[in-house]
Amino acid sequence: MNTPTLLIALLPELAVLLSVFAALGIDYGLLRHESVDRRNHTASLIAGSGLLAGLALVVVQIFWFSPLSLGENQIVLNSLTLGAKAMIFGLAYIVVLLSERQSNGTHVSEYYALLLLSALGAGFLACTDNLLLLFVALELMSLSLYALTAFDKSSSASAEAALKYLVFGSVSSAFLLFGLGYFYGATHTLNLQEAFITIARFTEPSPLLGIGVLLILVGLGFKMAMAPFHFWAPDVYQHAPAPIAGWIASGSKVAAFLVLVKILRPLSASPESAGLWTGSLAFGAALSLVIGNFGALRQNNLKRLLAYSSIGHAGYMLTGVLGGMIIGVPAVLFYVALYAAANLGAFGVIHIVCGRSGSDIQSVAGCWKRKPGLALLLGIYFLSLAGIPPLAGFVGKFYLFFAAIGGHPHIAHWYQGYYWLVGLGLLFSAVSLYYYLRVLKACFVSDPPENPTPVEVRTPEWIALTLLGLLILAGGLFPEPAIEFLRFSWGG
Amino acid sequence: MLPLFTVAISFLGALVVGLTPPCRTRTIRWTALLAALIGLATAGLAVLQYEIHPGGIQSMLSLPWIPSLGIQFKTGVDGISLVLMVLTGLIAVCGVLFSWDISHRTNEFFAFFLALIGGVYGVFLSLDLVLLFVFYEIAIVPKYFLIAIWGSTRREYAAMKLVLYSFTSSAVVLLGLLALYFGTDLHTFDWTRLAADAHYAASFQIIVFPVVFLGFAVLAGMWPFHTWAPTGHVAAPTAASMLLAGVVMKLGAYGCLRVAIGLLPLGAQYWATWIAWIAVINIVYGALVALVQTDFKFVIGYSSVSHMGFVLLGLATLTAQGLAGSVLQMFSHGVIGALLFALVGGSIYRRTHTRQLGDFDRLIERMPAIAWLFIAAGLASMGMPGFSGFVAELHVLIGAWAQPAFSTGILIATGAGILATFAYTLAKIHEAFFRRSAVPDNPEHPRPEHYPSLTWPETTAIVILLAAAVGAGLFPRPLIALINTGLAPLLNSLAAGAPSP
Repeated sequence: MNTPTLLIALLPELAVLLSVFAALGIDYGLLRHESVDRRNHTASLIAGSGLLAGLALVVVQIFWFSPLSLGENQIVLNSLTLGAKAMIFGLAYIVVLLSERQSNGTHVSEYYALLLLSALGAGFLACTDNLLLLFVALELMSLSLYALTAFDKSSSASAEAALKYLVFGSVSSAFLLFGLGYFYGATHTLNLQEAFITIARFTEPSPLLGIGVLLILVGLGFKMAMAPFHFWAPDVYQHAPAPIAGWIASGSKVAAFLVLVKILRPLSASPESAGLWTGSLAFGAALSLVIGNFGALRQNNLKRLLAYSSIGHAGYMLTGVLGGMIIGVPAVLFYVALYAAANLGAFGVIHIVCGRSGSDIQSVAGCWKRKPGLALLLGIYFLSLAGIPPLAGFVGKFYLFFAAIGGHPHIAHWYQGYYWLVGLGLLFSAVSLYYYLRVLKACFVSDPPENPTPVEVRTPEWIALTLLGLLILAGGLFPEPAIEFLRFSWGG
Repeated sequence: MLPLFTVAISFLGALVVGLTPPCRTRTIRWTALLAALIGLATAGLAVLQYEIHPGGIQSMLSLPWIPSLGIQFKTGVDGISLVLMVLTGLIAVCGVLFSWDISHRTNEFFAFFLALIGGVYGVFLSLDLVLLFVFYEIAIVPKYFLIAIWGSTRREYAAMKLVLYSFTSSAVVLLGLLALYFGTDLHTFDWTRLAADAHYAASFQIIVFPVVFLGFAVLAGMWPFHTWAPTGHVAAPTAASMLLAGVVMKLGAYGCLRVAIGLLPLGAQYWATWIAWIAVINIVYGALVALVQTDFKFVIGYSSVSHMGFVLLGLATLTAQGLAGSVLQMFSHGVIGALLFALVGGSIYRRTHTRQLGDFDRLIERMPAIAWLFIAAGLASMGMPGFSGFVAELHVLIGAWAQPAFSTGILIATGAGILATFAYTLAKIHEAFFRRSAVPDNPEHPRPEHYPSLTWPETTAIVILLAAAVGAGLFPRPLIALINTGLAPLLNSLAAGAPSP
């Protein structure tokens, strides 16, 4: 590995990292005595331009690089990993845009610095096939998120949620690390691509690997908000600042599922090794569907509702993972991308409409009258989450179910294959329509409250949210290029 | 290509109307009417363009959509879909005319209305199972908002109930569709190819058929999953009830015929008797419940359930007459059901501001024109010779007689159902129009001597619908010819005991 290549490969990260230091330095150096608004504006500008520069560099890399692997797959750059990184930086940029209207007390630049660090972590873990780096990147992301959750200084609930998140999160990280240790013990390699070959050579399933996989699933199950490791999600989503909740629901979700499929890939090398995880994952998927969708039914807080819905969505995506590495994973990646877009958009609209007045369902009441454009966007995001055609959510869910059955199409009994899980998922998507429609009912049917606070949307916010909406629309009407890209780039 | 224009014009109309500022009510109404009329005209042209010999599927259009999942954008029409498209066009036009007085959020109302119409046209046109499903689901969301925003009686409950029934049943359908895809090695959702080459095993058909059929039949109002229909119809604004009863319930029946029976004929033969019994329950139960309703709109709602029983019975016969009768009944009930809802929910309610039969005081004197029109419509719905309902139900009954697998019990029960239909139609006509009200006149708001007469949009719509019912009753031959060309391949495959080509 020579230094210039490494430097070029990591240029996007470098750009983002530079902007972290720039934001901190300028904020605490030059603008120390300025007003908070000014500092906020400057910091978000710097953070945003850093992310945009990173995004641009990633896009350049996509078009100019032939697939590249450095240091025994410590850094793997191909169209898939770079695409994932671009997606993560793009989402983070929207989070930065949305954050500007949020007051963070005097800790202006730390907020952006932490956000960028978590984006760096998420982006880096997309690009590595090394277990150790994967873990480090995941922790970089998680630790930043713990701190960001507590950033709503005016609310003690925010601090409480962050503490819960931290405690649960570190325990789950310990599980994950423990599991990775067993994985290493069984395969003698940190390189996931080598591990694939090693596991394929196993003549009989290794019990050590079995325990390791189980521990890994516990650790990652937490990051993905998979039931029964979902307890942190409702509190964190509800009390974290809305842009951060949106970021947890989008960027960190994408990252968690990327890690999952990366680790499960070598474990699918043979039917025996696949047997180590399919059972527990199917159980987790079914439980997530049940808990997430039933839990969301009785929520009156929009952010909490979205938290439960995200647990449910973890269930759908895990259903797709069960379709196997060849058919299933492209479906999962397609879904997680558009799910992230819809969720971030939903949190964005909630952030703009509700402001600091809490996020009760009633606070979007009559949104169609106050801001028709926002109401329309909210409609697109929520209907996409519910899986209504012609939005991307429908194609995504269809693809997931298609993949889950397609992995094992021929069955002799109903409990073999995943027809039962798909049936469950379909039924729960009908359940989910109930609570999504409750929100839309408040938004489109109810009248606005007396003397509503005026809702102001800045131009960049309009652009970002519309972009997300168009992405969802395009993903539903013309999904073929994206599906083709994912199938090709994942399959290699 | 031409039939597809109906979908395009409806969605385009929805977009244009939705973007028009709500204060320009006149523009909105006329634009919506224009879109609906163009849709109807296109459907009519498609019928004229269709060559009845050689029949089969014509105007086929096939574009790749999501080839990696075996999904195409494939559309085309045959005799059955043409009949239902014309029905949709008729109801759309009449629905717009009956919404002429909508003043609350007018632009959105017509936008949702036209979007729903577009989805319905799309279902009838689709020849790819997933495309059909997409249009089927596109129709769901507008229904919710039409009822929840512009409805009456417990509108939010009814809207949610209707949508959840529709969505749950479509989830069941989707599971069935995935099974159909993976049950064969063709790797396609293309209906024509599946029908021709899938050759599903009998055991597979017997398992999958009830899943697919049940999923679609919920939307057709099959007992015991019919309860969304009366509450939904009653809560919906007039135009939406007309659409729900007129065409949306037909979507379910169409799906049963096209997808369930069309692709899984062996499964259909296996389950036919069961379906027939459920259909009979529909007929009898719907009629009996209608008999005891006190809300006029609920009477019509349950009569819809009863009439959809004939559609299901016709489907279950799997004979030439029975299936033709079933499709004919879809058309007939579409027209007559819409007419009844228009009169009850629109014309009468607008004038009396009540739908309770007990409050009506000899309406025959106070609104003679409307009363006589309703009596005509009621007789049509009862199955009076000369109206379309008679021809349709006769075909269904002949089909049921001709099906040797059906026990006499089914026929006797159907006969009882027809008697119950007579009973509730006559009883309710009496209660609504000829009876003195037991409720004393409110001195502050006395019942007027004469209610205002029909407005021109109402008259036009009623005339169109009544003409369609009488026309199809007196000259059913062209309709039957169209339907028979559509059924021919299916009947061949039923006779051969193999999937239809």
